[in-house]
Amino acid sequence: MKTDTMRIFWKRSGRSGVSLPLLILMAYVLLAVAASLIAPQNPYDPLQIYAWEASSSPGTAGSGGYTYLLGTDGLGRDIFSTVLYGLRISLFVAFTSTALAALIGVTAGVTAAYTGKWGDALIMRIVDLQLSLPTILVALIAIVTLGPGIDRIILALVIVQWATYARVTRGVAMSEAAKSYLDAARLLRLPTRRIIFRHLLPNSIAPAITLVPIELGHAVALEATLSFLGLGVPIDKPSLGSAVANGFQYLLTGQYWISLFPGLALFGLIASINFVGENVRRRLDPRSR
Amino acid sequence: MVSAIIGRLSQAFLLLLVMSVIGFIGIHSVGNPVFNLVNAETATPEDIRRATVALGLDQPVWHQYFRFIGNVFTGNFGTSYIYHLPAFQLVMGKLPATLELAIVAMMIAAPAGVLLGLLAGRRKDKPVDRTILRLSVIALSIPSFWLSMMLILIGAILTGWFPSGGRGPTGVFLGTEWSFLTLDGLRQLTLPALALALPNVALIARLTRSGTIEVETQDFTRFCQAKGLSPRRILFRHTLPNISVPIVTIIGMQFGGMLAFAVVVESIFNWPGVGKLLIDSIQLLDRPVVMATLTFISIAFVALNALVDLFYVVLDPRTRRSA
Repeated sequence: MKTDTMRIFWKRSGRSGVSLPLLILMAYVLLAVAASLIAPQNPYDPLQIYAWEASSSPGTAGSGGYTYLLGTDGLGRDIFSTVLYGLRISLFVAFTSTALAALIGVTAGVTAAYTGKWGDALIMRIVDLQLSLPTILVALIAIVTLGPGIDRIILALVIVQWATYARVTRGVAMSEAAKSYLDAARLLRLPTRRIIFRHLLPNSIAPAITLVPIELGHAVALEATLSFLGLGVPIDKPSLGSAVANGFQYLLTGQYWISLFPGLALFGLIASINFVGENVRRRLDPRSR
Repeated sequence: MVSAIIGRLSQAFLLLLVMSVIGFIGIHSVGNPVFNLVNAETATPEDIRRATVALGLDQPVWHQYFRFIGNVFTGNFGTSYIYHLPAFQLVMGKLPATLELAIVAMMIAAPAGVLLGLLAGRRKDKPVDRTILRLSVIALSIPSFWLSMMLILIGAILTGWFPSGGRGPTGVFLGTEWSFLTLDGLRQLTLPALALALPNVALIARLTRSGTIEVETQDFTRFCQAKGLSPRRILFRHTLPNISVPIVTIIGMQFGGMLAFAVVVESIFNWPGVGKLLIDSIQLLDRPVVMATLTFISIAFVALNALVDLFYVVLDPRTRRSA
């Protein structure tokens, strides 16, 4: 019975465009936005933390009048609250960097394709350079150069990601630029900027949009990895990645919950984003129907 | 053909040159390494000046860069501020451990990924295919550091089957120490290799699947079917060789990626390789070692990619003509 309803749900949702992963992702965003309303504790406020209740196991009653649903970490912070607040930082970093990277990448790709010549050559060589190295390596080099901090990590992620958008958009824009409606625009002597942004860009943006969910997943994972290595967001305001890192030393002494639950939340977030991306890609790719 | 090779090599060379400039500037803007030599609180200005001269930091930046480039060609990255050993020698000393880890991980990932991909591709849109596809998305969604920690939790802490970190006893082969030569060493290797292998299994499986689906619809496979060849023979003798080029590409690239991702896995499993050296050196502001490590990983990656390109010629006769 249960599987039947699930199957019908999958099918129905498949048609309307709303799928289970998308619902989960929306729930994540909602939880992050409403973190301060849902979380029993503000993990950034030392006055709300009871240090003597550090490393309590899940389900322990706390002095604040609420139960530590998922336990507390080594500093006495409620893991459930840390996960909610961490989610907020992880999502903020990922959304901001993905949006900026898409904006910069698409603009660079369209401009390169339209202007051609040395501007095109220069931009595309930089893109080639970046895409020929593993993303984690580019991210490491960027973050070592920029130093730690939330604004720096956003910048590092933009540096890592813009190239993908640029390459994809340039490919489409090159073939669009040869079409007759652009000749018409040129013959009307429209300003170059107007041709690029009002005519070429809207017609070349589709593949970049399918990239967004995929890159969003990468951004979450990369931010978490850098934060885990101690090169990302500052440790006093942990993202999900640094929350996992905080629990690493306690893992070996059996206090598994400190890193298990933030990690699970992170994994669920990335998985839901990736499944959404997979659905988007499959829907827009006529071959896989 | 010759011009293609020269073009490929000069492209690789240019890539490394730009990398070195970016890397050099990057390292230069992080912290002042003088305070690794002298105590920041007790040092007199004279002490600081002497330390600055000793490290060559009193020279103009471009001067330092050209000296650095000159040294790179002679394999001389300077002396580690912490270990007081030549940085390059330090990296080379850590290399066998990383190489061993990456090779074992790839020996797990490549066969497993190719088999799963062939299986899924043969049964397109069947339950097997869907399961493998979903599992691959899940495998690619697990952050590698969390995967490593969960492997430690399950494989070491809860069950006690494997050690939680370190390298353990090694055997000597060709004058270098290797873990795979001892039974305990193999047990030490299992968890980190699995952590490094899992995402690559998924990646290789997905690529093999789409390759298989594409080849299976072509005329020559239909002809093989019409001839009455067994599905297994078609799969391994006709389909597999035809999708080998993208598979070799991804294996080559992912092997380079493993050298980079070893940074994460090695720090968690306390595996004394190049990646752990890099993270330790970044945290200790050990500039020459950071430079040597980043340069080395980049060179290894660029060289691997060039090698893969040249390997095509062997695998795919069609590229011989077009080149």
